[in-house]
Amino acid sequence: MPPKSSSGNEKDIAEEDEVLQAVILADSFNKRFKPLTVGKPRCLLPICNATLLDWTFESLALAGVQEIFVICRSYADQVKAAIRDSKWSKPSTGLKIVPIVTAKETFSPGDAMRDIYTHQIITSDFVLVTGDLVSNVRIDEVVRVHKERRRTNKDAIMTMVVKESGATHRTRSRGESGVYVLDPNTHECLHYEPVVGYPATSRVTMPREILAEHPEVEVRYDFIDCSIDVCSVEVPSLFQDNFDYGDIRRDFVYGVLTSDLLMKSVHCYVVKDGYAARVADTRSYDAVSKDILSRWTFPLVPDDNHPGGHQYEHLRGNKYIAKDNSVSLSRTCKIGNNTLIGSHTTISANASVHASVIGQRCTIGPGAILRDAYIFDDTHVGAGAVVEGSIVGARVTLGDGCRVPRGCLIADSVAIGANAKLRKFERVSKKREARPQAAGDGSDGDDEEDSDSELEEVEANQEDAAQIIGRDSNALVWPHPSPDDDEELDERESFYNQRLMRIGDTASDLELSDGGSTTSASETETESDFSGMHGLSRTSSATSASGPLSSAVDPSAETSAIHTLSSAAAETEFRSEVAQSLERAFAEGHSVDNAAVELKTLRMASNVPLRRVREAVVGAIVDRVPLVPGDAAAQRAEIAKIVRRWGPLVDKIGGVDPVETVEVLQYHCAAAGPRLPLFAQVLAQLYQQDLVEEEDIRAWHASPAARGEGVKPGSALLEGLKKCWAIGAKMIEQFESEEEEESEEESEEESADEKPAREAPAAKPPAKEDESESEEESDEESGSEESEDAPATAKPTAPKAAAVSSSSSQTSKPAQTESEDSETDEGSDEFVSGEEEVSAEAPAKPTTPAATVSSAPSAAPAKAAAESSDESEEDE
Amino acid sequence: MDFDESSNKIVTREFVAVVLSGFGNELIPLTSNHGDEPSPKALLPIANKPMIEYPLSWLEQSGVADVLLICPTSHRSAMSNYIQSDVSSSFPSLRIDLQTYEESQDLAVGTCTLLRHFSSRIQSDFIILPCDFVPPPGLTLTQLLNKFRTETTYDGSIATACFYEASRTDKSAATEEWGILPSNVPIVFDERSGTLLHVDTPDDVDKNNEEFELRMSLLSQYPRTKLSSSFRDSHVYVCKRTVLDALSEKAHLDSIREEFIPWLCKPQYQRTRREKYGNILSPVSNNVSQSLALKHSTLHVPGQKRHLRRKTAEEEEAADEHMRSTVPSPVEDEDEDAVEPSLRVGLVVHRSSSGFASRGNNLHSYLDLNRFFLSQTTYALPSDPENRSLIDHKAQISGDSMIGRSTRVEERASIKRSVIGKHCVIGKMAKIVSCVVLDHCVIAEGAKLEGCILGAYTKVGTKADLSRCVTQPGYEVPAGESARSEKLEVSDWAAHETSEDQDSGEDENEDDESTEEESDE
Repeated sequence: MPPKSSSGNEKDIAEEDEVLQAVILADSFNKRFKPLTVGKPRCLLPICNATLLDWTFESLALAGVQEIFVICRSYADQVKAAIRDSKWSKPSTGLKIVPIVTAKETFSPGDAMRDIYTHQIITSDFVLVTGDLVSNVRIDEVVRVHKERRRTNKDAIMTMVVKESGATHRTRSRGESGVYVLDPNTHECLHYEPVVGYPATSRVTMPREILAEHPEVEVRYDFIDCSIDVCSVEVPSLFQDNFDYGDIRRDFVYGVLTSDLLMKSVHCYVVKDGYAARVADTRSYDAVSKDILSRWTFPLVPDDNHPGGHQYEHLRGNKYIAKDNSVSLSRTCKIGNNTLIGSHTTISANASVHASVIGQRCTIGPGAILRDAYIFDDTHVGAGAVVEGSIVGARVTLGDGCRVPRGCLIADSVAIGANAKLRKFERVSKKREARPQAAGDGSDGDDEEDSDSELEEVEANQEDAAQIIGRDSNALVWPHPSPDDDEELDERESFYNQRLMRIGDTASDLELSDGGSTTSASETETESDFSGMHGLSRTSSATSASGPLSSAVDPSAETSAIHTLSSAAAETEFRSEVAQSLERAFAEGHSVDNAAVELKTLRMASNVPLRRVREAVVGAIVDRVPLVPGDAAAQRAEIAKIVRRWGPLVDKIGGVDPVETVEVLQYHCAAAGPRLPLFAQVLAQLYQQDLVEEEDIRAWHASPAARGEGVKPGSALLEGLKKCWAIGAKMIEQFESEEEEESEEESEEESADEKPAREAPAAKPPAKEDESESEEESDEESGSEESEDAPATAKPTAPKAAAVSSSSSQTSKPAQTESEDSETDEGSDEFVSGEEEVSAEAPAKPTTPAATVSSAPSAAPAKAAAESSDESEEDE
Repeated sequence: MDFDESSNKIVTREFVAVVLSGFGNELIPLTSNHGDEPSPKALLPIANKPMIEYPLSWLEQSGVADVLLICPTSHRSAMSNYIQSDVSSSFPSLRIDLQTYEESQDLAVGTCTLLRHFSSRIQSDFIILPCDFVPPPGLTLTQLLNKFRTETTYDGSIATACFYEASRTDKSAATEEWGILPSNVPIVFDERSGTLLHVDTPDDVDKNNEEFELRMSLLSQYPRTKLSSSFRDSHVYVCKRTVLDALSEKAHLDSIREEFIPWLCKPQYQRTRREKYGNILSPVSNNVSQSLALKHSTLHVPGQKRHLRRKTAEEEEAADEHMRSTVPSPVEDEDEDAVEPSLRVGLVVHRSSSGFASRGNNLHSYLDLNRFFLSQTTYALPSDPENRSLIDHKAQISGDSMIGRSTRVEERASIKRSVIGKHCVIGKMAKIVSCVVLDHCVIAEGAKLEGCILGAYTKVGTKADLSRCVTQPGYEVPAGESARSEKLEVSDWAAHETSEDQDSGEDENEDDESTEEESDE
């Protein structure tokens, strides 16, 4: 509603900043609404007959936000379509909504934030909300306060919006909440302590040092976390730097506040009047629905500003009936307070509807009783059916006389047979028609990516289902979760804690208050004996492989077969992760250490052997080298640049094994045809960087793997391996001859250093000198020796591999070399070899088709390259 | 309020005040013996009045008449002498019952023990007072008592404590030789209802020096609390008689302030403790009259009625049902009928902005208190000719000074910002700045004193130069001596006296009234 929101405050903001941006995290990253969210993202669930996403948009529009990025992961297509079709995408709204689909590996809000960072979409302070927000808070006011604070205090990076309430407010989550320690005057948040409902957090701690600076602080446990954060631009980058941050509160806020290094501060904006709440679980779904119906969210109420665009008439007792006269109410039906009835809905005789929300085009049979029920569109409730405290999806058919007691969740399109009696907290979804891809394809899963396997599990457990759901049903009864199978889950997602978040569950049998000493919870859970509810093994696809932050994986039900499958998947997954991570590292110029840490984490998360990491790193480095066909010097300079920058990473991934490195390099080059020629030079560079020693090369050369044993004969790979091996052989030959000569000519070292190029029409003398020096002296020498090495070793293999020079051409060019600039040997050598490359390219053509572009390079760039490489080498 | 008036007049023994007077170990050497004579802490003058007068007058003003004064046996004669002569004249309405206990200065047993011992003499609700609390002018004891009366009656609170905001002592003026500066104890309280919820104890600090721990049960009951380290305990507690019963249960507790009160805060929110001690602290009685009356009062605030008693599932269900169908408000209804005693510990917080308050229980605050009273008064020459004649007209006495009776000030002596006791002699040319000079001191001519506290009967030799020193009663400063930041004690007495006079380290038992019992009843 942009026209409405043009207040004075907003103009202020508009003056200093063009656009107010908002980011919506549309994914829930958990599965509390299952099975309602099978085949549908949570943000598209309706609440009071408008989708959560629409409520969120409405809330943001009310706050004067102009640009919204919607970060979606699961069912992104549906989200995109919903955005496209919504009224907000009309140009007249002045709202610009950009859906952004994140990688499947986004498992937490933290991942999403890192994604935001990589997309670089944020230009200034922005509003971060979740896709399930219902709020009438003037967020623009929060933004104004935030910006004002930022003007004086650059370290105030975030303002959290919290709503004052009571500790037992119905909208307040009992399962997860937090204790805020605030400075009463500045509302700076000095400490944040997450609190779990069950097992009840018994005590919170706060550092004593807080009191040193703030002698009087407020400890607040009465805040509803609205999940509205005004963040400065630094926030996504902090997430990027601290890749272990998953949750925004528990990890980020807690981390920032407890960090001794960051020196950043987080503030709270305490909303006194106004409404803001998240629909984070089914319990809050109930609570927020009631809040909307009781008009706490005014001006966002069904009869005005309904986000879905529906028109409702507000009657006494907070009853809302669709305005278009399409609702047919029987003369004898009873409509209680706090009820919303969508258009084209029919309520038959003697039906009673109480504190419920009914969607559009529903039919409520005669004598049906609905109490605290939430019925989505196109649902039929049979005669005499009773629905209490439950959520019923769209297109559901409830048979006559069936009973849905409190806490049930019935997914879309389910049919429940007549006179079926569901148990409390039953969860029911529709059977899949065609086995392979009925229940939403796995790649699209919200929380549902594992739905295939989960559903299989569910299907396996249907023996007694018929008596529960009746005979003519198409439904699957989901097993009741049991407390036993979630030891490994995040405690927030554990069964008992989830009970605090589900609709209709009073959890009165749970020990929630802290007794003060050891009182064990008197557990009287008798409802179910089912097990394996969380049998969501990760078989379906690579997408389900755990990233570093996936919290909701439950390996308990994995069989060994599944295990192999999943580990294969994990490896593929890992490879792509590493590739991405390195890509980022390369692109953004991370330090080697940072990149290494990231790799280590990835490796641990995916549990792959070290060799895979090495392969990935070496591969990435080789692939990183831009091919410069026809210019050996430039090529070499490129290689030197990359290897010097990233080579050390090879040894920092968690283990040093140069032999393996060479082997990996060999296999990688051999497998990637066009990069085969790089092998010699990369190897030479590695040698030069002391990443690989002579002995290592020898060891590699002697190993059976280097000769390509075990590789299918006749394949291109073997061919490549052999070539590489041959190069290695030459190199070793080179070492040996050097050693011999070295012992002979030690005395010549110094003089040779001065004008080696002139003295050395052939490559050997300088090579030898450099070799001898490098052993005792600086990198500078070793650099020269190395650059000499490559052509020297490559010389004999020139006919085979294209990347090398021939001795004949080397000798043919010395005049030119000298004429250019040849004060140092490496300069001349570089240059010589660079020039030669051109000529050497021609014979190499047949083997390396990619290297055919042999335009003669001008002398100038070659020289420049040579010089630059000199300089850099000397700098070292 | 009506009923408090009536209660004062009709029920004479509504409260008994228990005034604890100890040795004042933190005030050593001022409280060390003078010769064989003890120097009871209670009788140390603050602004030339024995410090016990401050709490006594506070008591008198609020109409509490019965005082149980507990002091060590060795102080008995001095104390009873004081009570006979001074108290009976200045506080005629007080009925003081002096009780003593055997204790030596360095073997102290806690205040809890003391209280337990005298519990038979306390038959009504009681007020525990230290002898050294100088109440702020803006806060009357009646305010505390009224809070106590209201809350015990209508929601079953069990005690009321009083904390004051410590005024900032400028660190520069304080001398470390005088003992460590008292540090404030962090407390957690609910400001709206005035409830003390948690007192950080030395034990807590020992257990976790880095972090401060709070019970979630506290926070769920009082979700909006304050944690503050800017307050100090006045050691004034108004308690129900039943608290004594609980105290006798907890035999291992030693200090009221450091152990018992922190413990007493806990049953209000910890369920198991409530179950265990609830009946002791708040026995079931059939006295329902006033709570019912109060409920009908328009001033009645539906307070913290949610208790830790666990509702049965059915009850909960019923409440839930009720809530979900009808509530127009998002706040859950409180069940009004469940009036279970809250066992609260009320708290009166006194901010420094509304008047200075302090306990004179260490040298720093003792000096601060004296200075505070100096700043309140303006000195005028004594009006009666006898005293007038003792002050030489050439003496310079600044307006913010105070000079006791029968003190002679000789010519050209200069006194600034100082309290001079009775029967002192200030010699010629003596210069006294920011000092507290107790009774019967002799300061010879030309002596220079700055920031000192001189115990009674101290003699300062000519041209002695003392800065920030404290002297034991009867100490003699040799002529020409100069000392800085020292505690000057009479060492030669140690030879023929008991070693208890030797100060030898502050006995860190911070309760200066910490005591040994063993008393003669």
